[in-house]
Amino acid sequence: MSETRTFLLELHCEEIPARFLKPLTFELAEKLENFCREQKLEKSELDHHCSPRKLSWTLTSLSTQQPDQSETQVGPPQKMCLDAAGQPTQTGLKFAEKWGVDFSAVRFEQPAGKKEPCAVVGVTKKGRPTIELLAEALPKLIAALHVPKAMRWGNSEFEFVRPIRNVLCLFGNEVVDFTVDGVRSSNTTWGHRLHHMQNPNAIVIKQPEDYEAALEKAGVVVSFEQRRRRMEMQLHELAQGVDGHVVMDEELLSTLAEIVEFPMIVRGGFPADFLDLPEEVLITSLKEHQKSFCIRNDQGLLPYFLAAANRPIEPGSEAEKLVAGGNEWVLKARLYDARFFFAEDRKTMLELRQDKLNSLTFQRDLGTYREKSIRIRDIADAVARKIDPGMIDDLREAAMVCKCDLRTLMVGEFPELQGIMGGEYLRLEGKTNIWLAVKEHYHPSSSDDGLPSTPMGSALALADKLDTLVGCFAVGIIPSGSKDPLALRRAGQGVVRILWEQGWSIDVMELASIAFRVVGPKATKSETDTMAALESFFRDRVAHQLEQAGYAGPVRRSALSIGWSDLVDLKARCEALSAFAEDPRFESLAQSTKRIGNILKDEALDQSFDTSVLQQAEEKSLAEHLAAMESAPDHASLLAFLAELAQPLEAFFTAVMVKCDDPALRAARLSLLHRLHLAFLRVADFSQWQ
Amino acid sequence: MHIQELILRLQRFWADRGCLIGQPYDIEKGAGTMNPLTFFGALGKKPWNVAYVEPSRRPADGRYGENPFRVYKHLQFQVILKPSPAKVQDLYIESLSALGIDLTKHDLRFEEDNWESPTLGAWGVGWQVVLDGMEISQFTYFQQVGGLDCRPVSAELTYGIERICMFLGGYDNIFDLTWGEVKTDDGVFPVTYRQVRHREEFELSAYSFEHADLNLHRKLFDDFEKEGWHLLKDYGHFRSAYEQALKMSHTFNVLDARGAVSTTERPGVIKRVRDLASGCARAYLEHEEPETTKDPIKKQEVAK
Repeated sequence: MSETRTFLLELHCEEIPARFLKPLTFELAEKLENFCREQKLEKSELDHHCSPRKLSWTLTSLSTQQPDQSETQVGPPQKMCLDAAGQPTQTGLKFAEKWGVDFSAVRFEQPAGKKEPCAVVGVTKKGRPTIELLAEALPKLIAALHVPKAMRWGNSEFEFVRPIRNVLCLFGNEVVDFTVDGVRSSNTTWGHRLHHMQNPNAIVIKQPEDYEAALEKAGVVVSFEQRRRRMEMQLHELAQGVDGHVVMDEELLSTLAEIVEFPMIVRGGFPADFLDLPEEVLITSLKEHQKSFCIRNDQGLLPYFLAAANRPIEPGSEAEKLVAGGNEWVLKARLYDARFFFAEDRKTMLELRQDKLNSLTFQRDLGTYREKSIRIRDIADAVARKIDPGMIDDLREAAMVCKCDLRTLMVGEFPELQGIMGGEYLRLEGKTNIWLAVKEHYHPSSSDDGLPSTPMGSALALADKLDTLVGCFAVGIIPSGSKDPLALRRAGQGVVRILWEQGWSIDVMELASIAFRVVGPKATKSETDTMAALESFFRDRVAHQLEQAGYAGPVRRSALSIGWSDLVDLKARCEALSAFAEDPRFESLAQSTKRIGNILKDEALDQSFDTSVLQQAEEKSLAEHLAAMESAPDHASLLAFLAELAQPLEAFFTAVMVKCDDPALRAARLSLLHRLHLAFLRVADFSQWQ
Repeated sequence: MHIQELILRLQRFWADRGCLIGQPYDIEKGAGTMNPLTFFGALGKKPWNVAYVEPSRRPADGRYGENPFRVYKHLQFQVILKPSPAKVQDLYIESLSALGIDLTKHDLRFEEDNWESPTLGAWGVGWQVVLDGMEISQFTYFQQVGGLDCRPVSAELTYGIERICMFLGGYDNIFDLTWGEVKTDDGVFPVTYRQVRHREEFELSAYSFEHADLNLHRKLFDDFEKEGWHLLKDYGHFRSAYEQALKMSHTFNVLDARGAVSTTERPGVIKRVRDLASGCARAYLEHEEPETTKDPIKKQEVAK
């Protein structure tokens, strides 16, 4: 292979929003891959990095020269190129001239897709130097990046995520020369702002291999993973320094690694009396306002926090004092606010906020949160009657106050504390019967979130989600494609998971229909339409649940197709089927059931049959098995019988001719198979097993 | 540092870098952006650099002077640079040095924070500037004002004056800040923020939360709107009409602080302010740059 070098491109911008760093980096990486493939350029690896002001890509061992490519050029038909005497015509000569060859090099062949032989020459397309191809392509690739929230700046019409201030582009030690929005590429770049306070000049990168080390020296760690790793280590160390451990938040850690060029964690403290605030308030306030972590030990939170700084800081330096002190100052202001909200909120009992829910709209057509609370109460009431009538009174009480915290100052400030604050305030009011249910009633809020920890909490959550779902469907808000602004799919999944995991044997559609009656007066769509839409919606959610639970495709399909209204029953069938599918006898049984299906097709079927008509030993044996199966108390024992059935069925099909001439016997045999088939359908539709 | 010293330094700094020093506009407003020096200045092609202090009223933030950090009215220092200079971030950082902040000893970050003013039909992208964990400024590249594209783009820098003073002095209570010193024949008397502003905070909070006549404000809102459209439509007067839009905006804030605007009403009410402000923006451009602006404006109208 020809000579290779390393390629490096860095776009140095003003601070790029954290959420766009990775998508942009990945997108250009993909474009570079495509570029190499299209231009037939060999390379070994593509690497990329991102930090707040830098996006960079390297291609290692990229060939310096595009290979020559031989191509066949097809010209006019033979009869136009040669005259009757076989001499070249003007057309023929022109074709040879066009490709710079003597006419003797022109061949006549019939290329694919042509009806007659044509003039053909083989030409060699000279490969171009890679550096030229790069210089041509890069401005276009960069301009074609998809930027969700693009901006313009200065006088220019160019659009990008934030202004591009420098372009570093090297191929080996040569600059790939091009311009992006007036910025010309070079072999220089800029380090951390702090570095340039002492060193006003740009940093020269002689070759791509020097890039990371040169920037590290200039205060920028270009690798996201490295920044994240270093911060994670510092978090643990600093937490240990006060005999605690960090309250880890992976999402926050990643965000921090995206907003600093140099990773540095500092520890600060806050006055211990703020520890009177509920833990969730402290953790949320620190995270949301200050992007900081809490520290805890076995007793609870400690009066310390861990914040990120975007620069190296020597231990014991003045900078450490100032940075930690500044963060402490701000945090104190925030916690002061939180304490103010907490104290103000506690002056009024939570339940007294019910009236204020009258002026808080839940959804235009579905009315206020007050109306929603009443609906939750009525739905919860019906749910409780089915699972545990003993909880009815508490559940009704909980429903009426579960949304009241939306009117507290704390939830106004931290919407993500909804539910949690309501629960906390109720606990402090001594409402031991309902506080936990209210606190947890927004769960599960995602696929990896757990259910409320108590049955009452689950029942309340179920009623709330049913009201939202059925209410929205009843006024025509139905998720479609990527459009699901009210997160109804998540609510639907919550309903399914609560029934599934709590083991409540209640028909989902019956619940939906109860909820529809409660929503009733608000509905703008007919009950028939709403229930039909909900049915297909819930079927998808249930299918998704089966997938999440890890059942194999055939198990899911065959179990689901005979019904899903009782999720507990569905779960039991899936469990039994999954176990049964492992059984060696299963394969033969699956074959036989398909055969039964084929035989029964197009037959008028009757369930009653007279065993005395049966003649052969094989069919009599089968009838005995059927009797046992029909009396099976549950799915597992039914499936156990099914397993036993594999051999007799096989024997039956070998020995017995079902469609015999004797009409009585034939009818009896068909009925026997039909009843077997019905028994199978209690667990699964095996025709869906593939 | 005294409040007045911070203001004087910022004014000196930006005047030295080619900014006009403007004055607050004498109508209540929620943010410095609403000053016509910014609202109209950011429109059109003419170069425009201006810096000024703007008192900003946020009725919902009133705390009767009891909260050490939150107030009904605070001071913003506002800078508009049109077109946005290539070294605008460096300029901003230099201005911090002019305030005596030694950045070799502090932590500075630019974190995404995009700005939008639904009442002005304006939005931009930018950052909050975070110093040692505290937001000290807002930094925005205006993309649209009054529903019209900004060409060229202005950079807007907004400094929170009280916050920066508190931070620099390590004050835990805004009212402990010093405004300046009064020197008389009898001696030198430091004057605190409390002396200058506390009673005002108390009374204006009480006004917002208790005494403001809601029916009057509802009526005022309607009347200002009527007046604004009358001025704009019948006379083509965008400056006097814009004043009506500002008054509508403040009136809305008073009503909103009392919870007198329901969530469903809200977008509609905001739109009424925006429509008038956008009308003013359009009329301004037609007046100032008729030849260059007719087409894009028409195009935008057609697009709607």
